[in-house]
Amino acid sequence: MDDPLLAVRDLTVRFRTRAGTVTAVDRVGFDLAEGETLAILGETGSGKSVTAQALMGLVPRPAGEVTGGRIVYAGTDLLTRPRSERRRLNGTDLAMVFQDPLSSLNPVFRVGAQIGELFRRRRGASRAEARRQAIELMDRVGIPAASRRVDDYPHQFSGGMRQRVMIAMAIALQPRVLIADEPTTALDVTVQAQVMALLAELKAEHRMAMILISHDLGVVAGVADRVMLMYAGRVVETGGLREVYETTGHPYTRGLMASIPALDGPRERLTPIKGSPPDLTRLSVSCPFQPRCDFATDVCGTERPELAPVPGRPGSHRAACHHAKEVAADVVPH
Amino acid sequence: MSSPTDPLLSVRDLRTSFPIRSSVLRRKAGAVQAVSGVSFDLPAGRTLGLVGESGSGKTTLARTVIGLEPPESGQVVFDGQDLLTLPPAELRQARRQIQMIFQDPYASLNPRLTVEQIISEAWLISPGVVPRDRWAAEVKDLLARVGLNPDHADRYPHQFSGGQRQRVGIARALALRPRLVICDEAVSALDVSVQAQVLNLLVDLQQELGLSFLFIAHDLSVVRHISDEVAVMYLGKVVETGTTAQIFAAPVHPYTQALLSAVPVPRPWAAPPRQQILLKGDIPSPVSPPSGCRFRTRCWKAQDRCATEEPALAVRLGEHSSACHFPELPVAAAGAR
Repeated sequence: MDDPLLAVRDLTVRFRTRAGTVTAVDRVGFDLAEGETLAILGETGSGKSVTAQALMGLVPRPAGEVTGGRIVYAGTDLLTRPRSERRRLNGTDLAMVFQDPLSSLNPVFRVGAQIGELFRRRRGASRAEARRQAIELMDRVGIPAASRRVDDYPHQFSGGMRQRVMIAMAIALQPRVLIADEPTTALDVTVQAQVMALLAELKAEHRMAMILISHDLGVVAGVADRVMLMYAGRVVETGGLREVYETTGHPYTRGLMASIPALDGPRERLTPIKGSPPDLTRLSVSCPFQPRCDFATDVCGTERPELAPVPGRPGSHRAACHHAKEVAADVVPH
Repeated sequence: MSSPTDPLLSVRDLRTSFPIRSSVLRRKAGAVQAVSGVSFDLPAGRTLGLVGESGSGKTTLARTVIGLEPPESGQVVFDGQDLLTLPPAELRQARRQIQMIFQDPYASLNPRLTVEQIISEAWLISPGVVPRDRWAAEVKDLLARVGLNPDHADRYPHQFSGGQRQRVGIARALALRPRLVICDEAVSALDVSVQAQVLNLLVDLQQELGLSFLFIAHDLSVVRHISDEVAVMYLGKVVETGTTAQIFAAPVHPYTQALLSAVPVPRPWAAPPRQQILLKGDIPSPVSPPSGCRFRTRCWKAQDRCATEEPALAVRLGEHSSACHFPELPVAAAGAR
């Protein structure tokens, strides 16, 4: 098999806070092949956004630091390369779309100039050429009357149109990996559908690989080939989309699925996950999900489960749970 | 005063607008009508879900009902009394019975007050509901009722998680023993696992206390889960309203159909087949709404008539009301008949 485009191994990111050191990303690993879409799912504080920041070299310093692991892109470990070299890869190789387009765009510059700047700085384009390419790109991402709107400021765009501008900037230099961090969370549902359709189109057109970071199991189901669930900074389950959604191997994934009200069928009482997400400053040797878990037994309090193949499932489907077999078989003990 | 069949809340042709001021002299240069002639009934003990995109006027509608925005015209009849014409003393009495739960559990609780102070503040403002010597006990009861530890009454908001803070917000809303609770995106900021806990709590409280909910949310699966009836808003107007089953299984307005088709479902391969409708563009500015039908600029069925004649909200197809000149059942639902 070919080497993956991106291979992440044991990635660990720590933050120093007043309450102590927090391991926001704890030995996370995954592969991403060319043209593939991997979704990273998780709730607030699960470490999914920090994982993306680490890939882009954007972990806020000095509070945060990548303390271990490897990020191998096209055969090179990015973590061993100097910052200047990593910066050169941003945009042409790895690019990112952020959640909040209003705070990611500079309010005092015209949108066209902000898109065009990429062509001027990175491709040495002339002012006129950069403007022409910016218009072309705005048109491609579905901004109506692009040749007129190129001179507008960010505040003159709606939320959905601003996110299109951000997408235009991310794909401007034709990156091979696009990282989209909750790209539609701030948008209305009809606009969300438009933006997700656009991302899928662009991905196919440029054969980009995509990492979609989301808390929404539904948004992910529409586009992902593979999913990876994170909890308390760790990968708790990973595998093909349908594998994971249909034969869940981790009680957390199962709990998430049961927490979502259905859009069809009978209305039944929801079965939420009990308790609240853990305090990352107080994690112990136990499984971090143990206090909220219906499957938990003594071993869960004393031994942290490692990611391992779910018994009886295809090898690519892995979960970090001592009771993965029972969970996949849908048996609740006691 | 009211017979058991009367609705608890009855809103008639409500209009609320905000002035647009000129940039220098702050003169009134125009107006945005955020709520533009909305009517609905909410029976006691029931839940009306209000859905629509940002800019549809659902939050302004809620704020007008509770008295945070003055309406331009219309009626808000609560328990048989029109709140807009009631003398101040009686208005205070009536208002006490309508409470609100806000979206952001971080911004809506005063960080300098303990949970006990936050909850009992309501009794300070509305004396006579709970006698002073009962306050501490009542706070403990309320905390237990919303699933918090009663011994945490002396804690501050920052000592709670987001979901727990929203429970404090619910306890505060219940302190004055309301009959109507307006939930404005009350679960939207919560993670799904916690959101499900709070939804179950709201359902339990409704059954125990006989509350009515006006439930505003942009998440349609949440609205379907909790509502008895649903009203769909677009640019300040209700475009379709009916029972939850009618709206979700047999929507006839193109906007409702588009909205439903855009909701991402977690297991698309297991869901009934549906037609994906991708709307073009964004919701237009309410400063200058389109003539005739306000949805026509994004509608794939729009004809000349839609630009000249505004469709009234009326029973047109099936048994519930819609505001479209050309109502149709969605393809899948029509085939099922």
